[in-house]
Amino acid sequence: MSLRLVERQRALAKLTEILLNLRNQICKLGIPLFMAFENVGRESNSGVWSDIFIECGNVMRQQHIDAGEAWKKVIKKMGNSVPLDDSDWHVLSDFWELLGKSDRENQESILDLEKENLEMLEKRAKEAINTKGRLYRNLGVLSGAAVVILLL
Amino acid sequence: MERPYDRTESLNMLLSTYLPDRIRKAVKGIKDHYLKDLEEIRIRSGLPLMGVFSGSDYFISEDGVLSHNSQSALTVAPKEVNSLFLLLCEQSVYAYQEDIIRGFITLKGGHRAGICGTVVYEGDKIKAIKDISSINIRFSRQVKDCAKDIFQKLIRNRQDIYNTLILSPPRCGKTTILRDLCRLISQGVGNDRFRGLRTAVIDERSELAASFRGVPQNDLGPRTDVLDGCRKSQGIEMMLRGMAPQVIIVDELGAKEDADAIRMAWNAGVRIIATAHAFGLEDFKRRLGVGQLAGKDGFERIVLLGMDNGKRWAKVMDANGNEYRALAESYRMPDGFCRVRGCGNEDVFEACGETACTGKTHRNSS
Repeated sequence: MSLRLVERQRALAKLTEILLNLRNQICKLGIPLFMAFENVGRESNSGVWSDIFIECGNVMRQQHIDAGEAWKKVIKKMGNSVPLDDSDWHVLSDFWELLGKSDRENQESILDLEKENLEMLEKRAKEAINTKGRLYRNLGVLSGAAVVILLL
Repeated sequence: MERPYDRTESLNMLLSTYLPDRIRKAVKGIKDHYLKDLEEIRIRSGLPLMGVFSGSDYFISEDGVLSHNSQSALTVAPKEVNSLFLLLCEQSVYAYQEDIIRGFITLKGGHRAGICGTVVYEGDKIKAIKDISSINIRFSRQVKDCAKDIFQKLIRNRQDIYNTLILSPPRCGKTTILRDLCRLISQGVGNDRFRGLRTAVIDERSELAASFRGVPQNDLGPRTDVLDGCRKSQGIEMMLRGMAPQVIIVDELGAKEDADAIRMAWNAGVRIIATAHAFGLEDFKRRLGVGQLAGKDGFERIVLLGMDNGKRWAKVMDANGNEYRALAESYRMPDGFCRVRGCGNEDVFEACGETACTGKTHRNSS
């Protein structure tokens, strides 16, 4: 459980990095969303998000649906592979609905706002590692000790 | 071998990629013999769906039945217009914002969607168009060989052409002729009769190449480089510096800067093929800035296009306005363009030492 908390924090940090890349592809290069998703998914440092972004790009390309709908479909199918909490998914869900629906200036604001949201989630994840993580570790040690005492 | 243009395939691709369900169903329901004449689909928020078939308007019902009565037509919902707009932008409005500001989006296949809505200004420049209210999908069709006969009059020798200006009022086929001339210049003609030249197209309004994601959707020939969406004056300079063209092709001259850039190209020994809106040579000569390009030391051939009773005609003249030929209606091609009947073109194939890219000045005795 403690490991999952660490993975959650890593996944959020990785998504913040990906958003920076996505911001460049959208706001500076003006690449259409489905191509931008596929591009960031193919980057070697996308980690656990790689397959999700590639699939999201594919779904948009083939089904001609918007980013929000494509994201929901893909997360329903592949979301289990990413160690995020339900509350994290909830915070992230609204953002994808807004992607692609306005000009570059507006998209930049949306992406900046989402970056702030992600940083907040990451901060909470770090705090959870410090509090819950320590609790889980201590519980583990105490349980081990209890088992040893019982055996003696 | 060149694949023949398949209009049905192109139309089906367009329908399945872009149109919302109800509109797609209605257009697919149109009988084939009407569908082949479809030129435009006009989709207006809260109004009946309309199609333009060979220049005539018809309303389209939910099942694809055509009528002059708007009551029986499919009424387009505002939501459908918005959905269509997002589909045309590939769900990425920001990626098409420059196109949207210009009022149209170029689609795969070279088709074009005109857009209307509420214009948003920033200072004196258009920043965006919001609340999209109507969309006009115009089907593109490249008319190959429509300029074949005109081109014979523009050949200086097997490796060179005359600087040529195409003049006409709007909707007489300037751009269509220019596109085909570009293809012929780039590709060459006949068995070594004209070898083909390196051609650069400055496609300011994306009408010649109709580039979609950087790929020209129209055939502009194998030796053609396209600078898409670039202003003519800047594009000519960029092409001269970077691509070493022998011919530069530009559509719709107008600004004084265009004239300066063309003179720069002529000084570099590059031939220019250009078009401009005008009712005739004298009309063009009166234009501020570009008008002087048609005088002495200017364009060597003038192609004048026009329309009489719905039939198009073309004339080729020298710089002094002496006509090389006039057109007879009987020479009208099935595609709507006229054939040029040969007369007095002995000088056309007269050998001339100067080639398009080596001459020090743009003019040579013809």
